[in-house]
Amino acid sequence: MISYEFFTTQKIEEALDYLDKFSKAHILAGGTDLLVNLYKESPRLPDFDYLLDVSNIPELKFITLTNGFMEIGPLVTHSRLIDEPLIKNNFPVLVIAAYTIGSTQIRNRGTIGGNIINASPAADLLPPLIALRAEVELTSRKDKRALSLEKFLAGPYKTKIKANELLTKIKIPLLDDNYYTDFQKIGRRKALSIARLSLALITKIDKEGIFLDTRVAPGSATPYPQSLPVTEEAINGKSIFDIDLEEMGKITSNEMVSITGERWSTPYKKPTIAVLIKRALEKIIKEVKTNE
Amino acid sequence: MNKITVTFMVNGKEVTLKVGPKERLLDTLREQLKLTGTKEGCSVGECGACTVILDGKAVSSCLILTGQIGGSEVLTVEGLEIDGNLDPLQQAFVDHHAIQCGFCTPGMLMSAKALLIHNPHPSREEIKTAIEGNLCRCTGYEQIIEAIESVASK
Repeated sequence: MISYEFFTTQKIEEALDYLDKFSKAHILAGGTDLLVNLYKESPRLPDFDYLLDVSNIPELKFITLTNGFMEIGPLVTHSRLIDEPLIKNNFPVLVIAAYTIGSTQIRNRGTIGGNIINASPAADLLPPLIALRAEVELTSRKDKRALSLEKFLAGPYKTKIKANELLTKIKIPLLDDNYYTDFQKIGRRKALSIARLSLALITKIDKEGIFLDTRVAPGSATPYPQSLPVTEEAINGKSIFDIDLEEMGKITSNEMVSITGERWSTPYKKPTIAVLIKRALEKIIKEVKTNE
Repeated sequence: MNKITVTFMVNGKEVTLKVGPKERLLDTLREQLKLTGTKEGCSVGECGACTVILDGKAVSSCLILTGQIGGSEVLTVEGLEIDGNLDPLQQAFVDHHAIQCGFCTPGMLMSAKALLIHNPHPSREEIKTAIEGNLCRCTGYEQIIEAIESVASK
């Protein structure tokens, strides 16, 4: 039987004071994962005595563009990511990924911060955010630190957040016009499906049509979302005119299996992830060619 | 376990209630306020039967703790009817036979209402997206979509 005291606050300072005072506090934001876990009394829930609702803190709901970075408050909902022109114009890949999450009801409540902190292997925003080289800002009563999202993730449903810290910002460097992005997802149906497999691809294409600074991050492929450096290196330096897509597919599959080992799902995921990288590359190549 | 005092608006009326720390908006509506039009289906945000409109947006009331919504405005299916007149959406559901067992209907209506509040003339695709989180197992979606379309085209 799960039992806890409930607190709610509208101020960051007050939230940080609570976290400082009560070490066994769990944070509640959009609730779209947490309330499911509470209802199911899921073993995934940590032991906690206090539930701190931060969903009404206005200071954590911003989207701003400053000095070459997009700064996003952790309480920005998936619906807002989809509707916000700043995001649509700068990171369409994030909009595509957000749109695949749950249903309208879920997107209206679920938040970008919650998606990060929950750190599900199938989290839809994590592959694009990793590929975008997002950084997270963590604030405690006395301290503030920033680290790359990829380093912040520590395992399935695990991050490096400390008990007294609150996620206060997601910071993403802007991409110049030579970057192309895509997100692919396979689920059992369009709405409400957990990603069986997803993949974010971001790459720069120079004037000669050469791939540079490629970032590949799959979802539901590895124990927790992470980039695939071998695949990225293999794509870098290739030309959009003669890249061997079959070969890239094989490299991606092999790198995934090198991380996960052979699992029950490998016979399905190995060929499928190859298809996803091929689809993403094909889409970007087509886009570059139409732009020319 | 502490009780929390929360004040919010339900169907245009202010209510102040004491709620438990685990009490979901769905529980408060059905058990404290006796607004049983809102249905409990899956309890995990997948069926849409418990959909209500919170501050203008369709949400699953099974995924919200009532303690979270102080100062907010909730609209339930009971709030659609005004002075004994059905909301045009409700009338359209009747006219298009978009109800069979009726269990999904309140949630469908609230998802559709939330859509029309922001987008009075949605496309068929937009209607489908708005109700993608609402499961119906007997009426069939076609009549439901037609009912919503008939109001959207007015």
